[in-house]
Amino acid sequence: MAMVRQPMLFANLPLGVRRLLFGLAIVGICFLFAFPVLWLILTSLRPESGVYYVHRGTEFTLGNFAEVFQDERVVEAFANSAVIATLATFFSLLVTVSSGYMLSRFKGPVSSTWFGTIYIFRCVPYISWVIPLYFVAQSWGLYDTYVGLLLPHIAVHICFFSWLMKGFFDGIDPSMEHAALIDGCTRWGAFLRVALPSAIPAIAALGVLCWLFTWNEFLFALILTGNRVPVITVVMAQFVTEMGLRWNLMAATAVMALVPAFLLALFGQKYVIRGLRL
Amino acid sequence: MASGSRPLFGEQQRFMLLLVLPAGLLMLLFQVVPIVIGANASFRDWALYNPKKVWVGLAHYQAVITDPAFLEVVLPNTFLFMVVSVLGALALGLALALLLNRPFRGQKLVQTVLLVPLMVAPVIAAIMMRWMFNDQFGIVNAVLEGLGFEGQPWLVERWTAFGVILLTDIWLWTPWYTLLLLAGLQSLPREPFEAAEIDGTSTWRVFTHLTVPMLRPVIVVCVVIRAIDAFRTFDIVWTLTGGGPGRSTELFSLYAYVLAFLNLDLGRGSAAAMIGGLIILVVGVVLYRVTDRIAKA
Repeated sequence: MAMVRQPMLFANLPLGVRRLLFGLAIVGICFLFAFPVLWLILTSLRPESGVYYVHRGTEFTLGNFAEVFQDERVVEAFANSAVIATLATFFSLLVTVSSGYMLSRFKGPVSSTWFGTIYIFRCVPYISWVIPLYFVAQSWGLYDTYVGLLLPHIAVHICFFSWLMKGFFDGIDPSMEHAALIDGCTRWGAFLRVALPSAIPAIAALGVLCWLFTWNEFLFALILTGNRVPVITVVMAQFVTEMGLRWNLMAATAVMALVPAFLLALFGQKYVIRGLRL
Repeated sequence: MASGSRPLFGEQQRFMLLLVLPAGLLMLLFQVVPIVIGANASFRDWALYNPKKVWVGLAHYQAVITDPAFLEVVLPNTFLFMVVSVLGALALGLALALLLNRPFRGQKLVQTVLLVPLMVAPVIAAIMMRWMFNDQFGIVNAVLEGLGFEGQPWLVERWTAFGVILLTDIWLWTPWYTLLLLAGLQSLPREPFEAAEIDGTSTWRVFTHLTVPMLRPVIVVCVVIRAIDAFRTFDIVWTLTGGGPGRSTELFSLYAYVLAFLNLDLGRGSAAAMIGGLIILVVGVVLYRVTDRIAKA
């Protein structure tokens, strides 16, 4: 790895002091970045009576989590979010990998038109097409259904992911595919059997991102679903207004919603970091 | 290299179209069609329980662009939010990337900690901040009072509430910049930096004359993507303040949402959404042009 050594800022201080300052800065920054999440976890462990003075009491409990899971709506929302995020990830990858491949390997009017379309639609604010999508969903009978929430989630990632995928395929040498074509492989064969396997790390990175984005998404679900398909972000936002004073329960729900995202991100971290090198 | 010179021209076109067909179809059905329907709705008197849908021309557009709340609160808020959020997270992200761009013990762990906000849903981030900035029981006021200052009713006054929204957004997005800029830093050639060190160039000059110009392409991409995303921010405002106090922290997305789904005036809500879409399209094209020029300069 090409580490760039730069002249140090406090060059006239002794080495030990410099190291100490550097270490303190790093610890301080990490603390500030992690603090909101740590605070949330701490709140989720406090009993009802202690929650208003989180920083003082010493009683801790796991009861909040148990109480949250007695609420059927919360359990249902977790299941719905997980199913929708997983399906959306699968189908998003299916359609964006091929569209990104096309953008990367072919020049000409078809390719540049598609690229222009993607750039423009990437700019359109979600609200500008989700408000009318509400009418569309109503008239197609898709309002408050799985499919009605899943399809927009697949559609929304097409622009950004096709563009990222193009970048990944640009970094893969196409000469192997040309060789395969000369050897009598079809274009589909060259794409599926030669190009695709070398793009797997990038696809994994996109998969992790897509799952996180869908799990965390709020606006679509708020507008396109009612009571039949609750998802976790909407249920939590309702908690804020409905049980605004029971912060311990809200914190417990939020912590539970963080767990799958954390696990996935820990597992996928190396792919994402490698995959995001633009 | 495109293989455009092959004789199988028709077959190649067919292959290309098949590759984009599923994506294109989905976009047509779930983005293009709704936008067309929304454009149509914006010219009509379309309330949820008023099925007549009378054509009213540009009346909704006129109502939105002469609405003092839109002109004097929502638009300035949206652009202020966009600029401060993008620049704040860029500055912080660049500083962190520079700090992390040297080997030290525990670097992996630090990197993981800094990535935490990336995994947190904006709704959850907003709930956390709402709790921390709670005026009676929040930790922020507890610390302030412990230090002898007076606690603030953070979410009850316009500018402090706006500040909390900005803080939440910057916390959420700084890791993106750090990650992308760190990757950019690590791919820079090292020779110019070694030469500068031998010449005894000051750190600040190295930063402004070497690091920043060489990172320009990465910075440009980050800024364009985030500026466009910042324009449509909804989740954190909805959860933190709901646009309040009053309507003083409303951003564009929330304004359109309130018109369409709380006032149940889908026509005017669609008009507001179209106006916002047009504004960001212009901003997007200008940003693309400007940054393209910067990246090539």
